[in-house]
Amino acid sequence: MALKEERVIVIDPGKCAGCHSCEMACAMKHFGVCHPYYSRIRIQEFRNVNTFVPITCQACEDAACIKVCPMNARIRLGSGAVVTDEDKCIGCRACVYACPFGAPVIHPDTGKTMSCDLCMDDELGPWCVKACTMQQALKFVDVRDAARAKGRDFAAMLKEQHEPPHQEETEFSFSFSVE
Amino acid sequence: MKVVIVGNGIAGNEVALHLREHGPRADDIDITILSAERFPEYDPCSLPYFVGGEVDRDAVFRKSPDYYRNSRINLVLDNKAVSIDPEAREVKTEKGDVFGYDSLVLAHGGSLFIPPIPGIDLDGVFSCKVLAEADRLAGHRGSRAVVIGSGAIGIEAAEALKLKGYQVAIIELLDWIMPTLFCEGASCFLADEMRRYGIEVYTSEKVLAIEGKSSVKSVKTDKREIPCDTVVVATGVVPGRPLAETAGIACERGILVNDRMLTSAADIYACGDCVQTFDAVSGEDCMYQLKHNAIEQARIAARNILGEDARYRGAYPFARAHYFDTHAVTFGKTLKGLEKICRPEQVGVIERDTEQGYLRLLLKDGKIAGGQAIGAFADHAGLFMGFMWRGVDMNEFKKNWRKIGELDSVFPWQYRKIGQVLGFSALDAPDGMEKARV
Repeated sequence: MALKEERVIVIDPGKCAGCHSCEMACAMKHFGVCHPYYSRIRIQEFRNVNTFVPITCQACEDAACIKVCPMNARIRLGSGAVVTDEDKCIGCRACVYACPFGAPVIHPDTGKTMSCDLCMDDELGPWCVKACTMQQALKFVDVRDAARAKGRDFAAMLKEQHEPPHQEETEFSFSFSVE
Repeated sequence: MKVVIVGNGIAGNEVALHLREHGPRADDIDITILSAERFPEYDPCSLPYFVGGEVDRDAVFRKSPDYYRNSRINLVLDNKAVSIDPEAREVKTEKGDVFGYDSLVLAHGGSLFIPPIPGIDLDGVFSCKVLAEADRLAGHRGSRAVVIGSGAIGIEAAEALKLKGYQVAIIELLDWIMPTLFCEGASCFLADEMRRYGIEVYTSEKVLAIEGKSSVKSVKTDKREIPCDTVVVATGVVPGRPLAETAGIACERGILVNDRMLTSAADIYACGDCVQTFDAVSGEDCMYQLKHNAIEQARIAARNILGEDARYRGAYPFARAHYFDTHAVTFGKTLKGLEKICRPEQVGVIERDTEQGYLRLLLKDGKIAGGQAIGAFADHAGLFMGFMWRGVDMNEFKKNWRKIGELDSVFPWQYRKIGQVLGFSALDAPDGMEKARV
């Protein structure tokens, strides 16, 4: 089946610094509060190895959450995103348990699940991606470009590893005054 | 091409949906669904929540009548298929209609097992498997209920009735509740939670009779007599074989299918609750009558009808139970199930019991074959299922866990997370920064 014209959030954990800005942006966008508990994107922290992995719904093609939901509340939108229909959800968490990433998040007040809707009502795109402009750990790209970009990044990384960048001798000139 | 689907349940509709969406010559396919019931497709899993009043009746339906019209699916309601003639390629219904087919899909599911108990036909005895019964139960006014059987349906029905304000007792013949889904430890914990909410749980008890003249007065077991005005029978589902047997299709406990969901008759496929298939991990014959299996089987059947060579990876149990604020999940084999199929030295158990929750993983030859989790551990059940599919050797994993980053730069983060969840990090003090990232 040909891939549809869809845009997805691509995560590069190697660039994530664990600042949690994406969580704040998500909570702000959807609930108007600045609290990570209300965020649909969550950062898995592995502090002892200084590694941070942003986890959000990957909208799997063959999504386990859709298959196990007893209320058929997990639905796929036209944009490709898989979200929870809050009117139907009973908070049983089957989608959380079946998800290979544990991506659906439980709303702290209602107990129902929620997951990334790609901020589809905002033409500027997902707020978490906007919040990550500095680190570039999150990118919002066309699904057909995603794999190609990944390959390109990997090739660039290999190149860098095999031939270290040439160190040019540069003359620095400092000017500062001591008062 | 003419495809006739017997059964308007989850499996049957998934076949129809897949044929419409993915068929290259989609518009040439003439799809007919034969249903024994009067409703458009609804989800039996959601019925207890409708009975308990958590959701409206509308929420149980997966399809509206318009859907069938818009998708050009010919839906024949209230007309049960009664016989198949594989030579003439025809299905006959109880109203005498005849439908010819090029491919036939049997997705009529199963019927509730009605135990031979005296008084089972009294007024006030219900089931919770089909919508018509759920409607009756939802409209019933009572105050004391007894649920016979503690499978997934029984447990949910008990919770639903409790929510409606009934005084509820649940009776299980075997040693613990949900015996096919949970091991003893987790099951007893759940039973205690149910008791905490005021549901009486009686295990290792046999129901001898349902007493009463015209309507239910009490349920008599081998240990006690429980006065009640409502009885819900949830003693399991028997796969529907009689229709397949009219065509001479091979059946054992259920309709036998191969890994393409093809039965012993040419161009007759079967999927859903009515088939007997194989376990994804152990390969043994099994019948897990669960929704996700029905959907996966239906897709395999549909793809094969479309000429693809799609093979089924096998069925697997996955279920969750929640009582009010206690959440539990189970997947794969239980200890008892595992002991039946392998030697004692092949079986391993990893157990964690903390304040946040309980976790039990069952290993076969060091690889995860099943597990149960309650509380915080449950949130990571999906990661453990991933390990089950990949066949990760847990002993090797534990040995190499600290070196994961060095082993392979593309090692998924799930590996590190599982080590964290299982508490490997507590055993190994952090060893400075590792070079590669997960």
